[in-house]
Amino acid sequence: MRTLLKFIQKYSNLLLFLLLEAIALSFIIQNTQFQRSKLVGLNRQVTGYLYSKVDGAREYLSLKEVNQQLVYENLELRNRLDLLSSHMDSALVTRDFRDPYHYFYMPSRVVHNSVYKQYNYITLNKGKKEGVFRDMGVISDQGLVGIVLESSNNFATVIPIINRDFKLSVKIKSNNYAGILQWEGTSPLQAMLTEIPFHVSFQEGDSIITSGFSSIFPEGIMVGTVESYSLEKGNFYDIGVRLSTDFQHLFHVNVIRNYRQEEQLNLEDRVR
Amino acid sequence: MYIIARNIFRFVVVILFQVLVMDHVMLNGYLIPYFYLLLIILLPFETPRWIQLIVGFLLGMAMDLFSNTPGMHTVATLLVAFIRPYLLTLLAPRDGYEPETFPRIHYYGVFWFLKFALILVTIHHFTLFYLEVFQLKDFFSTLLRVILSSILSVSTIVLSQYFVFRK
Repeated sequence: MRTLLKFIQKYSNLLLFLLLEAIALSFIIQNTQFQRSKLVGLNRQVTGYLYSKVDGAREYLSLKEVNQQLVYENLELRNRLDLLSSHMDSALVTRDFRDPYHYFYMPSRVVHNSVYKQYNYITLNKGKKEGVFRDMGVISDQGLVGIVLESSNNFATVIPIINRDFKLSVKIKSNNYAGILQWEGTSPLQAMLTEIPFHVSFQEGDSIITSGFSSIFPEGIMVGTVESYSLEKGNFYDIGVRLSTDFQHLFHVNVIRNYRQEEQLNLEDRVR
Repeated sequence: MYIIARNIFRFVVVILFQVLVMDHVMLNGYLIPYFYLLLIILLPFETPRWIQLIVGFLLGMAMDLFSNTPGMHTVATLLVAFIRPYLLTLLAPRDGYEPETFPRIHYYGVFWFLKFALILVTIHHFTLFYLEVFQLKDFFSTLLRVILSSILSVSTIVLSQYFVFRK
């Protein structure tokens, strides 16, 4: 017993070091549990508040740019509206009023955003109070942004495409072949599309859009364009995708609520 | 008591400076200066080793919480806190460190401080970046990031010695 105590006394610093290091490593190993822990939840409130204060100043400085973006988006929407209303006039529209929305878009603001790390996250200023929950899609007027990871009362964290944990089924617009979109951690401008078989033909510059398989995003949301491709691994292409969303200047985003998500997931679970 | 209060204040200010300013300074699309290591580097010589470890742990945790990473900053910062006393003995001048001095440029010169800070910062960045990537595939591109980021971090830390922590 005496020798044990002596041993502990002698190596107390080393033991303390190893103990603390073990705690830290266990966080890394249980990555996702860490994200959901109480501590991080509390922290999300604090950092969210802090970041939203600083963001006020940042946003003011970029008002001009944002205005321009909104003007363009307005223009685009107006054009579509015109097109649509001409269709509506000439067709009988049937619509189920008990279930009016399939997808519902909620405007939100980015209060914190990291771009140059391996695991980037975005914080939004909408949370459970406004109906933002886990697994909702997030898009901007330029294209796909990411998926909501967790939300607290007033804030939500989003896994953007530029996070190494991100995975989503997307497809090539011109031929409808679907593959998996992932991020390699090299550049916030580029992601990687895999699992497109070798016989599929496409070109540089082809659009990549969401496939609509995931119940998170509706089909056809812009993701990016084909920038480069190679056939190194034999049967499947590695396609470099130039992302359409500019993650470095991200302010206004829309959170997508899919009112039929639960129904779809339930059905798919039953089959499984 | 005064010293403890001053250090807690410094801790908060440095963390805020790191997450609100430094994290947005990105050179060349890759590099973030991790200025917060300054806190560990500048601890007084006579700080007990267990306090150094605790400070390292808290500092890492604070950074992890702010940047949403699970434990990576903690592992790296803790390692630095553990190695620091050994490094100090290794780099000690011939007649040891004088009482009432701090490990700063003002007392021991630029060259000594550069050696000291560069070694600690490189160890930290090496651990942090490889933990982040967690694979050896991009070994050399990560190594490049480690080297460039270390230089950047050390320069901000050295600069701060001339403007803020002068004595």
